[in-house]
Order: sequence, then structure tokens, then C-alpha cells
Amino acid sequence: MEEKVLTKNFGVKNSHRIDVYLERGGYQAVQKALQMDPDKILEEVKAANLRGRGGAGFPAGVKLGFVPKEVEKPKYLCANADEGEPGTFKDRYIMTHDPHLLIEGMIIISYCVGIHKAYVYIRGEYEHIAQQLEKALSEAYDKNYLGQNILNSGFDLDVFIHRGAGAYICGEETGLLESLEGKRGYPRLKPPFPAAIGLFQCPTVINNVETLSNIPQVILKGAQWFVNKGLPKDGGTRIFSVSGMVEKPGVYECPVGTSLKDIIYEYAGGLKEGKKLKAVIPGGLSAPILKPDEIDVPMDFDSLMEAGSMLGSASVMVIDQEKPILDVLRVISDFYSHESCGQCTPCRIGNSWINKIIHRLYREKGKKEDLDKIIRLASNMKGKTLCPLGDAAALPILSLTQKFREELETYTES
Amino acid sequence: MSKEKTKMIHIQIDGKSLEVREGTSVLEAALQAGIEIPHLCYHPAFPSEGSCRMCLVEIEGRPDLELACSFPVKDGMKVSTQSEEVTKARKNMLEFLLAEHPLDCPICDKAGECKLQDYYEQYGFFESRFEEKKEKKEKKVEIGKTLLLDQERCILCTRCIRFLKEITGTRELGLFNRGVHTGVNIYEGNPVENNYSGNLVDICPVGAITDKDFRFQTRNWFLGSGPSICPLCGRGCNIDIEYHPGFPHFPVPKRVYRIGPRENHRVNGYWICDYGRYHYSYIDEDRQEQIVDNKKEKLDSWERVLDFLKERIKKLYYMNKTSRIAVLTSSWLSNEELFLIRKIFQEDLNVEKIFLTDPLPGEEDNLLLTPERSPNSKGASQMGLNFKELDLNKLAERTEVLLMFGSHITEHFATAQTQEAIGGIETKVLLNPHISDLNSLMDVVLPTCVIAEKEGTLTNVKGLVQPFSPVFEAKGHCRPEWEVLVNLAKKLALNFRYYSPFTSVKPIFKKMQKEIGFFGTKK
Ligand SMILES: Cc1cc2nc3c(=O)[nH]c(=O)nc-3n(C[C@H](O)[C@H](O)[C@H](O)COP(=O)(O)O)c2cc1C
Ligand code: SF4
Ligand code: SF4
Ligand code: SF4
Ligand code: FES
Repeated sequence: MEEKVLTKNFGVKNSHRIDVYLERGGYQAVQKALQMDPDKILEEVKAANLRGRGGAGFPAGVKLGFVPKEVEKPKYLCANADEGEPGTFKDRYIMTHDPHLLIEGMIIISYCVGIHKAYVYIRGEYEHIAQQLEKALSEAYDKNYLGQNILNSGFDLDVFIHRGAGAYICGEETGLLESLEGKRGYPRLKPPFPAAIGLFQCPTVINNVETLSNIPQVILKGAQWFVNKGLPKDGGTRIFSVSGMVEKPGVYECPVGTSLKDIIYEYAGGLKEGKKLKAVIPGGLSAPILKPDEIDVPMDFDSLMEAGSMLGSASVMVIDQEKPILDVLRVISDFYSHESCGQCTPCRIGNSWINKIIHRLYREKGKKEDLDKIIRLASNMKGKTLCPLGDAAALPILSLTQKFREELETYTES
Repeated sequence: MSKEKTKMIHIQIDGKSLEVREGTSVLEAALQAGIEIPHLCYHPAFPSEGSCRMCLVEIEGRPDLELACSFPVKDGMKVSTQSEEVTKARKNMLEFLLAEHPLDCPICDKAGECKLQDYYEQYGFFESRFEEKKEKKEKKVEIGKTLLLDQERCILCTRCIRFLKEITGTRELGLFNRGVHTGVNIYEGNPVENNYSGNLVDICPVGAITDKDFRFQTRNWFLGSGPSICPLCGRGCNIDIEYHPGFPHFPVPKRVYRIGPRENHRVNGYWICDYGRYHYSYIDEDRQEQIVDNKKEKLDSWERVLDFLKERIKKLYYMNKTSRIAVLTSSWLSNEELFLIRKIFQEDLNVEKIFLTDPLPGEEDNLLLTPERSPNSKGASQMGLNFKELDLNKLAERTEVLLMFGSHITEHFATAQTQEAIGGIETKVLLNPHISDLNSLMDVVLPTCVIAEKEGTLTNVKGLVQPFSPVFEAKGHCRPEWEVLVNLAKKLALNFRYYSPFTSVKPIFKKMQKEIGFFGTKK
């Protein structure tokens, strides 16, 4: 069933304005949180089993717990609003319709960790959203939800917006940090993790926009309520971005664990008239592809992992029978070879090499070994790269080449 | 904290038990134990970056291969650098690197000392399976006065970029574009301009950055190499001199082709400056190789020259007129040579007119280059020589025998001025490794050796006494100054017992240690 808790303000007139937000119960969570002991907030977020909405699904509370408590250095929060994963368009909805929800989440996390400077790293293309967010920030400053001595609590917080310049890799948390520091967006070697050494070498919390936007309701309604909305180990709802050959592409908020099949056929209205399902990419372009007989799967991190794919950013891309699978493979490979930052050998060369083979298959008939070569190169890349982009490229390419081998062989000499 | 840092722990690499310092990386531990793990982006002078992925190893209990260059050792850790999975990953990484690499080896300066080439021979040996078009990039970018960059050969290890960031702080190189199109380059119109740029050629593991000074001059496998000390400033950087021993029937135009740093963390780390690197022509050019006898007294052998000198000096000695001898030394001489000058002239002969002529000071930088332009000014100042202030009139006044080491006086006085001052001196002898304007003013010019051709020790500005030995033999009549001085002392029969053991530099050094406190305490 569709469940509007996170998206309850979507569609409400002027929902992006603070007066409307306040009318609808906004900033109550901040008022409540500022009365709470920060440790209690941390406990609540941990108990909520809120898993990161950016892709990796790491429990948000656990990550907060990694931030060292007693340090001389300042600590930072970065909201990851880069939304670069192809097929993903949920964060832009939150920031367009309910920017104060994100701001409220950021205030609570900052208070919990003892952060006084927070950033929103927003993808460059979202210019109008950045402007709107900027307005929302100034509204929040005017009402003293931001700035000095917030609501007389003695707590200070400033939030800054930083616009990216159009690189997928700047959504990767350490690439983001480098970019935010004004450098080339090259991911950093981990460990150390950002929670210990992040922005400007200081402890840093990085969370996806949707993750942060869940915080106010966790505080207001409690961890148990949140867990009940979803699954015991994967609480809450998720905003699914559904695109491709469906009748009603768009964002759908559903409980974690909703069946993929239902999302496609119930909420998104099924395939466009006359089209037949060929494949589904269930969690953003990085997720291994599923065939029609594999889509009866609950949409949560663990179930999709078991099904050999991943929930990622919960972006469902529906592919119909008429779409040549080589086109899908090419789009995937074009994207990753274009977006590989070039820092590490296997991803830089592997992606480009695979891409060159695929493009050759359009020009001339290939050999069967070409498909084996794609599989071999993707396997050699997998698990060997500096940042997860290498795997994000290797996994879908591997799954697609293996699952649709028969069709791909029509591009090779028999 | 510091206590923890020095804690020693035990690990095993390929079954070999090692005791290593806690906190070192697996790669450093392996290298210290002489176990090779291939690596391209790692350089001991910079924090590891982990981009080349060549150093993957297996660590017991870890699900995936780990980077040896960044993985810290832990007590009881077991590492395999040779397992099937490791060798496979290594080979695959080489395959990636070579896929887009132009196979320029036949025309590449680095061939023979290229890490990519070496690793392919050691760990690769596969047939190329790359059938696609290679990327086209810039093959000849002038990134600095002496530096050329070939972006196609570059494997993007970023050592060059990190050197300019971490060591010189000048940051002239950066990365441009993305993915497989990524390339190193300078920011438009701002070439690499610092006194350490030549080091980029050394640290580039492949032939991407080449040195115009060396480019296409010879093949590196023809070159011999010997350790030496750079004599061009007071730092005394440890260097390797690479020279061509010549072909049997084919003359080569010079001996020295290249100077490179020799690692020494007490002096120069991994680097040398460009001034020291590129000014090596003094070793082969304008060398004084024959004895010059302007008096036409048949002084055509060392034996005759020494006899001639003995006569002049002895005469004054017996007449108690050694005050009529003047000696011009220089801190281009070794400690032992300066010591001999002190013994023979200051102590045995009571010569008072001892002067020091050094090259004029030059610019210094905040890394290695010192203002002194000679390698032993510290040694000269510690030798207990009572140098007189340099003054041509005092030098010449009533002087009958002038002994001059080196021609640095030309930097202090115009030659005509010197000529006027010393013209009346009866016997003028110059010992010099180079042909100079002074040759015509002298009665005799004796060819001596440069540091690369002799043995001895030098004291650097920090007071470190560093030994050096000949990299190659001297040419023609050239002899080291210490040998000339010992032979002269023997001829003069000053103190036979004292000088006769001085058949090599070592006994002189030992005596110096005994007699001069500075060298005794400092070793
Ligand atoms: C190549 C790459 C691109 C990524 N892009 C994004 C992105 O656009 N937005 C995002 O929230 N997370 C992105 N991530 C995930 C982040 O690295 C990080 O895990 C996330 O921001 C953490 O927030 P969360 O725990 O709230 O999910 C990306 C990861 C990779 C490897
Ligand atoms: S895996 Fe790809 S994106 Fe990540 S650091 Fe390596 S080259 Fe860059
Ligand atoms: S030019 Fe050489 S040192 Fe610089 S990145 Fe390329 S290979 Fe490395
Ligand atoms: S710093 Fe001095 S000793 Fe070192 S290379 Fe330069 S000139 Fe030679
Ligand atoms: S040496 Fe370890 S990744 Fe390059």
C-alpha cells in the first residue's frame, strides 16, 4: 500500500514555504529534540533501524555512533543531494516540495553529534532547487531554527549550500568531500572513514537527503513507530523512483519490503499499453538486472541482496521486450566509462575497454569471445577498485551479459 | 603515542617471519625484508594513494585482496604475495595498464629501467587481447625547461603531482579531464619551474616524463653508475653518477650522461636539486689533462715537477724564508687534502700566507641548495688553518713561491689584476682540474682530479663527514691533490715517518681524526 508519511506534504499548496510547513506540524521535532539529551537521540535513531537511502544502506544510527565524541576539531554534516544515480529522482522531490523537512533533519542530527556547520552538496543541474533551498534556509534563519542560539537552546548551526559541477563521482561520499574542499572529485582511500577523518580532515557525517528527511518523524513518533512502518531490520518507508515503460512513472512512497511487482503493476500502473516486460533494474543503474520471473521480491536491502541484486537508491527502471538488450548494456557502459573518475587503473581502463567492445558490436559483427571478454574484464574490475564505482559498473554489466547472453549472441558471428 | 609507534610486532609474509614496527604498511614491511611486491603509485616520500592497484596481496582472514601500500601490519598477520589469486590480480592489473599503453619501448628513454616493462617481464607475459582503438593523447608536452611529458605513456600514478604538492609546494602539475581521457598537464602557461624539477623524471615510474638533457642521448643500459657526492654546494647531496664506459671501437663524446639522487635521509632524502643535477659538464668539459710548462724547463712529468718544486721550497726552507711561500687553497679540496696543506705548509714549513679562495656564494633555496658553491667549506673552517684575509698585495708581497689550488680567484679579481699582482713572483704553480684564464699567468699548471675521480671525505654544511670514492679513472696526467701533496712532502723529506704510510686516503683520514678534534668526535 502507498503510505504517505515522508511525502505527506507533497502536493500541498506552497508546501515549500515555512508558514505552510509550520501549519502542518513542521519543526516540532526540532523543538522536541532540543529538549532531549543528544545520546537519547542517537539511541532513537539506532533503534529505528533507518538504513541509508543513498545506496549502500548502512544503518544511519551506527554511522552516527562512529563519530568520535570528544575531539578538539570541529565536526561537519554533509547532506548528500548529488542524486547522480541514473533513474533516481526522489531527493529532488523532497527538496522541491518539502525543503524544511531536510533542514529539520539536519538540525536534529547536528544537535545530536555536536555539529555547528553543515553543508548541502547539491548536484549542479538542480539550480532552481538550490535557489529554493536557499530561500528555505533564510526562512529558517529568520525564525531562528538556524543561526545562533537556536530557539534559546544555546545550540548554534549554520547551513551552506554547495553546488556540484556535474560528476557522478562527487556523489560518492569521499569524492564529495574532496569536491567540497574545492579539489578534483577523486575518492579517497578508506579507511579512514569520514566519520573519523572527513571534511577538512575533521569528523564528518554524510547522509543522503532522504535519510536525513526521515529523522524528524523518528524523533516525533519514535523508533518503534518507524520500525513498524517497515521491517524490523530496515525500518520506515521508501520513496521509489519508477521510470521506463510504465503507465505512470513517478515517485511512490511505500513501506520498505513492498513487493517490486506491486510497485510496477499496482502503483506505476503496469507496463505501457501493449508492452511486455523484459527486465527490471530495481535499485538504480548500479543494481544487477532482474528478469520477469525474478520480480516477485520484497524491496528491502536484505531481500534484494538475496535475489542477487540490490535496493540501492530504490530506483526502479522498467524495460520492455522491444528494447534491444545491447542498447541497455550500452547505456550502462556509456555511463560508467564516462563517469569513471580515472583515478584507479581497473575502473579507468576496464570501463573504457568494455565500452569500446560494445560500441564495436554496433559497427560490425563481433565474436563470441567478445562477450566472454566483457565478462572477464568486468570480473577483473570487481572488488579491485579504489571506490565502489568499479563494482557499481561491473555488477550490472556482468548480470546483464550473463542473463541475456542469448540475445547478445545475435550480435556475434555464429 | 610515540611509545606505541616504536612497538615491534610479528608478522609472516610468504611464510617468512618478520619483526616489524607497528604502524608500517604491509608493503614497507615487505620491502624492508627484501620481499618484492610490485607497486607503481606508492612512493615512500608521500602518503599512499592507492590508485595503481598493483600491490594487491592476500591477508589471512580478509575476504578480498588488500592494498599492501596502505594496509597496516597487525600482530600475527599472515600475508601472501604469491598466491594464485594475487598473481592473477596482478596480471590483470598489468593487462589493464598495458591495454592503453603505447608500445614505445624501442624509442622510449625509460626502456630498461621502466617499472611497467619490468613488471610485465616478471608477472605478465600475456598476449595482448586489446583489439580496440587506443586513446590519443598529447605525446610531447613541454612541461618545464628540461621536461617533456608524453601523456600516452603516463599511467596516472600522480607521483609527479604529489611531489610538486608535498615536496616543493609549487603545484605546477594537475589532472585534466576524466576517466580514460584523464591526463596530467600543467595549468596553461605555467610550466614546472622550481629547482627540483629533474626529480620528476626519476620518480615517474614509466617514460612519461623525460629529461631533454638525456633524451635520445644514449641507452641507459650502456651506462655504468657509481656513488658520489655532489660538489656543487655545501649540502653534499648523495648522488649516483651515470657514465658511459665507451665502446671498443667507437668513441663516445663524453663520460657523464646523467646525475641522479642516491637516497640518504641524513642529507638529501630522495632528491637532488636541478643545479646539482644539470651542471655536470665540469666533469668532462674544459679539463686540464696535461701538465703545462710555460717556463720550458722540461717539466713534462710529475716527477720533474715535484723535483722542481722541492728545489724552490727547500731553498727557502734552509734560508728560513718560508714566509716567502704563499698557498691558495679552496674548499673544493677534500678534508684530507686540506689537512695535508695544514700539516705540510702551516706546521712543517711555517708558512703564514695561507688563503682560501672559494666560488662566490649563490642563491639558496629552502630545500637543499645552500649559498656555498663548494662542497667542503665546513671542513675548511674546522681544519685549524689560519687563513689570511684574501688580498692580492699581501699575497704577492715578497712572495717567491706561489702554490694555487683551483682557479676560483678569477671570481674575486679580474685576471689582469691578478696578473699585475702576481707577475713578479718567481715560481707560480697552479693545481687545477680545469683549463682557466690563469694558465697563461703560471709557470706550471698541474692537472688534478674532480671529486668523481678521487677518494676522500667532505664535510657538509651540517657537519656531516661523508666519504667518496672514484667513480671512474682520471684521464691524462691528472692526479688527486692529496697524492701530489704526499709526494711533495716525501720529496721534501720533512718527516719521513709521518708521511710514508700515506699511500692511500684512509691513513690520512685516521691521522686527521687523531689530530683535529672536530673529526675525532664527529667520526
Ligand atoms: C559512485 C557513487 C555515487 C554515489 N552517488 C550518490 C548520490 O548521488 N547521492 C547519495 O546520497 N549517495 C550517493 N552515493 C553513496 C554515498 O557514497 C554514501 O554512501 C551516502 O551518501 C551515504 O548516505 P546514506 O548512508 O544516508 O545513504 C554514491 C556512491 C557511489 C559509490
Ligand atoms: S573506481 Fe572508478 S570512480 Fe572510483 S576511484 Fe577508481 S577510477 Fe575513480
Ligand atoms: S607522468 Fe609519470 S609520475 Fe606523473 S602521473 Fe604519469 S606516470 Fe605518474
Ligand atoms: S643541493 Fe647542493 S649538493 Fe644537493 S644537488 Fe644541489 S648543488 Fe648538489
Ligand atoms: S602501490 Fe598500492 S595501489 Fe599503487
